[in-house]
Amino acid sequence: MKKILEIALGIVTSVGGFLEIGSIATAAQAGSDFSLQLIWAIVLGGICIIFLVEQAGRFAAVSGRTIPDAIRERFGFNYFAFLYLVLVLVSLIVLAAEIGGVCIALELATGFHFSLWAIPVALVVWLVIWKGTFGIIEKGVSILGLVTLSFVVGAYLINPPWSQVAQSALPSLPQHNSIHYWFIAVSILGATISPYLYFFYSSGAIEDEWNEGYIGINRIIATGGMSFGSIISIAVLILAAMIFAPQGVKFEHYSQLPTLLTPVFGYWGYWLIVASIGIACLGAAMEITLEIAYLTAQGFGWNWSENQRPLDEARFSVAYMIAILIGMLPILIGIDPLTLTIFGMALTAATLPVSIVPFLFLMNDYSYVRVYRNGWLSNAVVLVIIGLAFVLAVVAIPLQIFGGS
Amino acid sequence: MDLMRDCLDKQLEDGNKRRMGRVDGIILDIEDGRQPHVAYIEVGVKTLMNRLSPRLASLATEPYRIAWGKVKVGLNKVVADVEAEETPALEWELWLRKKVIGRIPGA
Repeated sequence: MKKILEIALGIVTSVGGFLEIGSIATAAQAGSDFSLQLIWAIVLGGICIIFLVEQAGRFAAVSGRTIPDAIRERFGFNYFAFLYLVLVLVSLIVLAAEIGGVCIALELATGFHFSLWAIPVALVVWLVIWKGTFGIIEKGVSILGLVTLSFVVGAYLINPPWSQVAQSALPSLPQHNSIHYWFIAVSILGATISPYLYFFYSSGAIEDEWNEGYIGINRIIATGGMSFGSIISIAVLILAAMIFAPQGVKFEHYSQLPTLLTPVFGYWGYWLIVASIGIACLGAAMEITLEIAYLTAQGFGWNWSENQRPLDEARFSVAYMIAILIGMLPILIGIDPLTLTIFGMALTAATLPVSIVPFLFLMNDYSYVRVYRNGWLSNAVVLVIIGLAFVLAVVAIPLQIFGGS
Repeated sequence: MDLMRDCLDKQLEDGNKRRMGRVDGIILDIEDGRQPHVAYIEVGVKTLMNRLSPRLASLATEPYRIAWGKVKVGLNKVVADVEAEETPALEWELWLRKKVIGRIPGA
């Protein structure tokens, strides 16, 4: 009974913690610009993140180490320094986008410009991490994040052509604007296969003191949580495809988001959107902030744990304070959160091999995971998908920025 | 023992399981006519910078050295027979605790 509860809670927290501003923005843009056609990108990213999260949990449970810990040990400081710079840079952009997401929700709720909310939101993120425990952040915020299931209810009630939804789960070539199509596909892959998700998950497994007995539970949580999470992203895409695309509306600003749920839920749809964006982005902002601090402390061997007093881990605490401060700045000076989000997600996709390739080496190293090493399927699925994301990113990002045709 | 595999970059703790950093460097003593032997392990920014580029190393302060005789190499970590808080390895940690974190309510 205890295990069933643990699995249920694990899946609920994974679902609640899955959706963030990147998934919402990229899915909404995909739906408005290409109708249902890009569902395959979410499916592909979802399959990859299921494998990666399962591997991150298995690695922590068997080796007793987090991923940064083992990468520093196995590949040395020079590679770790490179990975650290890349991951922190990308994570700070994504953190800024998430803080921007919360600010947008507050702008929608109050009418005050999003940049005015940057400092209060940063303070809330800091305060919850400062005073809260890992359990509060992981479970509390994620359970509140279940409000994002309103997208799934909305997508069901709007009654899309289900056969076309199913067909779109398979990749297809664009009919028009092919550079933008591939750029959005890359952004979706970056938003879905977020390194912070599996890095945070592996740190969480250590915080929760997982051991080999958790391997089965981990598999169910990773598969269930990430699958349901992907379904929420698909629901956002369906809503955008059914509401924006037929009217020729381009998704260019977050203020357009409430119109995704108001046709289904009326007045309450507006507030469901505000709550969904606000809570999902607040949870993601906290997780990314912690991930940056975990990465720093684990890589340099400092004391770290969200369950300890800040006084007992001063450098860890300073690391997350600096991350929040830097992450808040782009929003404070008024950089458009949507632009930041879309490019942040594309950049994430382009840098995936930097963290995933060494991780795959670790997952095949007997001295770390013993008999629980990856099979050929686990290796192949992750390698093919991140390879595809990388190639698409390297081709599509410059073309999108410099306007190729 | 393979020093690179089993010792370098491993988590370093004191005897009370207090994390002190990582084994950033290993110092070998080499004398003519004798087998090289391990003299110290090093912890510090200078050692790390030196691994990236010797030019960067000149900017940092000297690293902290622990005599090899005080070091035990375990499976997941290296344990040093020292009191972490009394060593320069935690100098920054203690400074931040006192000057920054300790001054914020709720720390």
